[in-house]
Amino acid sequence: MDFRLSPAQQILTTTARSFLRQHCPPELVQRLALDARGFDDALWRRMGELGWPGLLIPSDLGGSDGSLLDVIVLVEEMGRAGLPGPFVASAVVATSLVLAAASPAQRKRLLPALAAGERIVSLALVEESGSFAPDAVTLACAVPGRLSGRKLFVKDAHLADDLVVAVRIGADLGLLVVPTDRPGIRHLPLDAISGEKLFEVTFDRVEVRPDDLLGSVGEGGALLAPALRAGSLARTAEMVGGAQRVLELAVEHAKTRVQGGRPIGGYQAIQHACADLVRDVDAARGLLYAAAWKDSEGRSAEADAALAKAYASEACLAVARRGHQIFGAISYCEEHPLHLIHKRIQAASLDFGDAQLHLETVARAIGLDGRA
Amino acid sequence: MNFDFTAAEHAFADEVRRFIHANPPETFAVDGMDAGYGSGANSRAFMRALGAQGWLSMCWPKSLGGREQPMFMKLVLMEELALAGAPFGPLAGVWQTADAIIELGTERLRRDVLPAIARGEATFWQGYSEPDAGSDLLALKTEARRDGDHWVIRGHKIWSSHAGIASHGLVFARTSREARRSRGFSMFVVANGTQGMDIRPIRSMTGEVYHHEVFLDDVRVPADLMLGAPGEGFQALLNGLDADRFWGRFYKAPALARVLRQLVEYANTTAVGGVPLARDPSVRRRLAAIAADIAALRLIFYRAGCLIRDGAPLTYETAMAKVYADETGQKLARLGMDLLGIWGPLRAGSRWAKLGGQISHLYQTTLGHTIAGGTAEILRTAVAVRGLGLPAEPKAAVAARAR
Repeated sequence: MDFRLSPAQQILTTTARSFLRQHCPPELVQRLALDARGFDDALWRRMGELGWPGLLIPSDLGGSDGSLLDVIVLVEEMGRAGLPGPFVASAVVATSLVLAAASPAQRKRLLPALAAGERIVSLALVEESGSFAPDAVTLACAVPGRLSGRKLFVKDAHLADDLVVAVRIGADLGLLVVPTDRPGIRHLPLDAISGEKLFEVTFDRVEVRPDDLLGSVGEGGALLAPALRAGSLARTAEMVGGAQRVLELAVEHAKTRVQGGRPIGGYQAIQHACADLVRDVDAARGLLYAAAWKDSEGRSAEADAALAKAYASEACLAVARRGHQIFGAISYCEEHPLHLIHKRIQAASLDFGDAQLHLETVARAIGLDGRA
Repeated sequence: MNFDFTAAEHAFADEVRRFIHANPPETFAVDGMDAGYGSGANSRAFMRALGAQGWLSMCWPKSLGGREQPMFMKLVLMEELALAGAPFGPLAGVWQTADAIIELGTERLRRDVLPAIARGEATFWQGYSEPDAGSDLLALKTEARRDGDHWVIRGHKIWSSHAGIASHGLVFARTSREARRSRGFSMFVVANGTQGMDIRPIRSMTGEVYHHEVFLDDVRVPADLMLGAPGEGFQALLNGLDADRFWGRFYKAPALARVLRQLVEYANTTAVGGVPLARDPSVRRRLAAIAADIAALRLIFYRAGCLIRDGAPLTYETAMAKVYADETGQKLARLGMDLLGIWGPLRAGSRWAKLGGQISHLYQTTLGHTIAGGTAEILRTAVAVRGLGLPAEPKAAVAARAR
């Protein structure tokens, strides 16, 4: 066993940390959270130059042949910095789907541009049920035909060049990849506390062509599962990185904030709270890396990923909430970075299924069948 | 990163499983109670069987009869034994003592004690705590004075696990008065039955005996049974306690995984009000959540194990791991009692006891785990002070500096 990052992953982490410290300070995160568009074009371009959006993409298509584990290590740093933007939606989830299912023409059209960060693609999956389960998709469509209806909680729809839309084609689940400038597609913002840019996307008699199909009809569920797992692990990495940042900030505060004549970190009440933050972060990170490693090795990782997501959802949110208590009143201010990280963790904990959904996957994996 | 075993580790795990299959744990006579840590009951017969496999000494230098196996093999062995519910109670303590003797021991200790350890015949009790020296260990009063080529120990030790059935005690005593509070202590390896040693059982809330108190009334010990240099026992003790946190809790995750498996089976096969427990959403979530805890716990221990293997510095890892292990054990025991409901409190051997009555036993034994070997409070403070660099509270300053 070996818990260490590879030399290449260490370079990736170190580069990301110093890059994000310079280009994604808390003030920028704050500004983008309050801004309706919430996107820094220059920052995204620089990330493209670093090759980040192409991490999962083969080198012959402009990417860098990375693994999901590499992505996880990078996204952990993004979470630590609170980096907003479409990286997980486009470079992890949508890219995974395109890689898994795209026709040669779609690959050529989408992947080099995705790798360069010149194209942003987002997944439109969730409907009024609020469920991330592929079975819950009801939006019906004929191919060729017209698409009418809506999707909810679509990330960064205002930036996306294309949407991957999960639809029912007859009884089967299928995926479409549709340019957002096709007539009849509109996006309406949802206003969430996290500052994440979420949208309701409406389709009004949108033309659907045969070559919009991503993969074959009926394959949608099988294609979505690994991509949703990648997204779920990426959001877990964000939570772990965010919780790590909360830990660092809280410890720094406990060392320097003086009350009653000494640093508050000298009181056991604060010491024990900080000790629990370490446990939560270490435990969540261990499960995350183990699941991402298994997935990257091509081993079955469904239960591991569910464990990791469910665990981090509870543990990292507990870290954020405890962080506020350690900081006291100052962390209640908008200009203090803690609430931004907290809300990001909160959002990530619900994305791609909340803890209850993932615990149900775990319950099945540990053999709870209720046969009585 | 790699979260799998090597081929050699897999092969050894298979070998251990074959051994367990050929030697079912329940066929070994038990000498002392299962304290719930995950290493099962104290069975001399089982320890001798492990000795006969050459596994007790497998990591020792060849010059001392070992096979110089990598330290990770010990983890593989303990994990398999714990998953099988084997009675290897004294194993972790035996290994720690052996490592200390190999590192610090005199010629006599190496000659007399190591072979007995290798055969599974020597097991050890810890003579650290005293009635007025619990979390504040340095308040201890036991003293040893030099008399020719002997030391004469006088004092009163307490909470010594399985002292009544062990072969030797590790007795921590003051050997000189020094300006610094942490200096002047030494460790002795004292054979049970030495004149002046009186070992008395303490019956626990479980109704069984695990702990003992030991009265040392001018116990004469040859000077070459001191473990480590005179006056430098405290560092050895701290190293030992650090190791204890790791080795004494490593098997908790697999042991809890074993109990969880039984609870899952129970939930699958038990209907309450006509509905299987396993279909109750809150039961499903609680069992799944603790499965995640156990998986996380296992990785935390393996990560610490990798740091130990690689000789990397440890500051907070074992203290944190111990607290997490013990609190997870308590959580699982509580969940088990909830699942079993009215059947839960029935003891092993009682009519109508479910799952062999082991959950009521686990419920009681785990209660002591956040106290024994460093309370959860002391250890959280250690994580904060040693691991995170937070300032020590004024009263704890002396002990923290000594570490």
